Amino acid sequence: MSLLEIKDLHAGFEGTEIVNGVSLTVNTGETHAIMGPNGSGKSTLAKVLVGHPSYEVTQGSITYNGKNLLEMDAEDRALAGVFMGFQYPVEIPGVNNAEFLRMAYNAKLVHKGEEEVDPLDFDEILDEKMKLVGMDKKYKDRSLNEGFSGGEKKKNEILQMAVLEPKLTILDETDSGLDIDAMKVVAEGINKLTHENNALILITHYQRLLNYIEPQFVHVFSGGKIVRSGGKELAHELEAQGYDKVTAPAK
Amino acid sequence: MEKTEAPETAVLALHKQFLGEDRAKAPLRPVNEAGIRRFETLKFPHRKHEMYTFVNTHELAGTSFELAGDGPVDAAWVQDRIYPACQHSVMVFVNGAFQENLSDLSALGEAFKVSCLSDAVADDEIKHTLLDLLENENDVFAAINSAFVHHGVLIDIPAKAIFDVPVQMLHVSTGTSSGAVTSHPRLVVRLGETAELKMIVTTTGTRENYFINAVSDFIVKDGAGVTYTQVQKDHAESWHCSKTRVQLHRDARFFGRNASSGNRLTRHHYEVRLKEEGAELLLSGASVLVNQEQVHNFIRIHHEAPHCTSIQRFKNVINDKGRSSVDGTVIVNRGAQLTNSDQLINNLMLSNDAHSDIKPNLMIFADDVKCTHGTTVGQIDENQLFYLKTRGLSQALAKSLLTTSFVNSLIQTIPFPDVVADLDTVLMKKLEA
Repeated sequence: MSLLEIKDLHAGFEGTEIVNGVSLTVNTGETHAIMGPNGSGKSTLAKVLVGHPSYEVTQGSITYNGKNLLEMDAEDRALAGVFMGFQYPVEIPGVNNAEFLRMAYNAKLVHKGEEEVDPLDFDEILDEKMKLVGMDKKYKDRSLNEGFSGGEKKKNEILQMAVLEPKLTILDETDSGLDIDAMKVVAEGINKLTHENNALILITHYQRLLNYIEPQFVHVFSGGKIVRSGGKELAHELEAQGYDKVTAPAK
Repeated sequence: MEKTEAPETAVLALHKQFLGEDRAKAPLRPVNEAGIRRFETLKFPHRKHEMYTFVNTHELAGTSFELAGDGPVDAAWVQDRIYPACQHSVMVFVNGAFQENLSDLSALGEAFKVSCLSDAVADDEIKHTLLDLLENENDVFAAINSAFVHHGVLIDIPAKAIFDVPVQMLHVSTGTSSGAVTSHPRLVVRLGETAELKMIVTTTGTRENYFINAVSDFIVKDGAGVTYTQVQKDHAESWHCSKTRVQLHRDARFFGRNASSGNRLTRHHYEVRLKEEGAELLLSGASVLVNQEQVHNFIRIHHEAPHCTSIQRFKNVINDKGRSSVDGTVIVNRGAQLTNSDQLINNLMLSNDAHSDIKPNLMIFADDVKCTHGTTVGQIDENQLFYLKTRGLSQALAKSLLTTSFVNSLIQTIPFPDVVADLDTVLMKKLEA
């Protein structure tokens, strides 16, 4: 059974259709890169996968672990192991970063029928995870994303991925706005967290992230659908030739 | 029977009765008389009164009050309400009267000099504060306090004095099952040069139907500092007015915070004068209102000298039919150059019937100043809520986290851990659905 099966998905925002018939299968252990020009529908697909209330699905189906994902609320999808690293993570002043991570961690434990951990025990777990993703301990006491630079916000998303150990991770333009050094640290963290028992969908505009996180599959989005799929060489082709040429219909 | 007389008549009659009682103190008589005269001039606010635009005082003005007696109160009940850090630095007041047998000032030492206002009024500066300032008193409830003041204390802190612990002023009002009673606590605190004081004022009541109408004056001399926190946790069926008047001299500091649970009506009035260079003021308030609770903050800050700083921070969470207002004016006099003034008011509305009024106001007569103000009124941010849900938090937990963090960000700035812990019950529990 595949982990994620998207079949002929049509979805939009305020009456405008943006995703125009997307079909995609992701199996455990796979890394899929989704690339495409701005406005091609990549982010919309991501938001539909995590259950953003502003986007409506007009046609098609999404099956996750054999279950109908579209019938699940955002929090239930998260508890079932779906995680999205946002392109623009929201700032939440007054919510302590470490405390929030503990609440999310405990929500998962309770869902699995296990006991919650107390703040002291969680502190040890968090220290380990922060080391893994290369994040300074000072971010424990900060308010969630408040005043974080772009790079720090993205790292904080990867830290959450480390804490929650999702089965399916969707990273929406995690590399956008990062300089090369920050991107390398983020990529290193992601690589440590992906293995044969989970799967990763990397949405990226730029090819360079794929030098550090190797995908098995690359899909090119245009006009709300996948117009080409291939292996990692497709990413190099895109870099060399640009989106227009690669997505032009074959003559 | 419906009242057909003007509400002022009842106050005047009560005052006449009061002057004939033993509790009225002769040295304070001039204050009582000036107070009632001022009350007669001001009268209860009409609906379009500029100071009460957002505060409906009709119910309060129309209620017949008797003057509250002496108690009694249960000592154990009082003891439960004394903060752990203040076990040996607490003054307990019952209906405004200092209760020596329930208090303990042993941790404060000789520098914490307490005297009755009836004795202290002989001091020119105290007399000026109690009497002369009445001429221009613009708050009718503060005028009523002066009209009825008979017990009240002066705390005189000598220059350079510093205390290891905060002092708690625990005000207990004894309500009644029927009828309504009122008390008029009065406090003057004078700090000598470079002295420092940490004070927590808690107002609470044994039961319903009381009106606590307090006035506090702080005279803060050169280089002295006050850290002042009010915890308003009165009975839900009570009324609370408090006027806090502060005079800051050169390089003096007043960091005032209030955390209010609300009741039928709570109004905090702050009148602050930054009289000399380098003075610094912080005023912040946090409230969580449910049912029909109300909390109003009325602030007038006068920058009278250059190089002074004033900061205002208010956060209110309003649910059900709660009502809140923040009416804050900063006046920067000519000559108060290089004034730095900042005001931020944030309200979170949790129901369709919640009501909030905000009036930030700047009156600037100097030409080299930095004055800013900002206001937000809104509901829970849907993007923040969604973000938390994508991390596995339920709708209820995410909502609760967002509302508690909204007000927590201000409560965590209170420098008294006992108060922060108390507010977990007083305020934060009200946020639980």
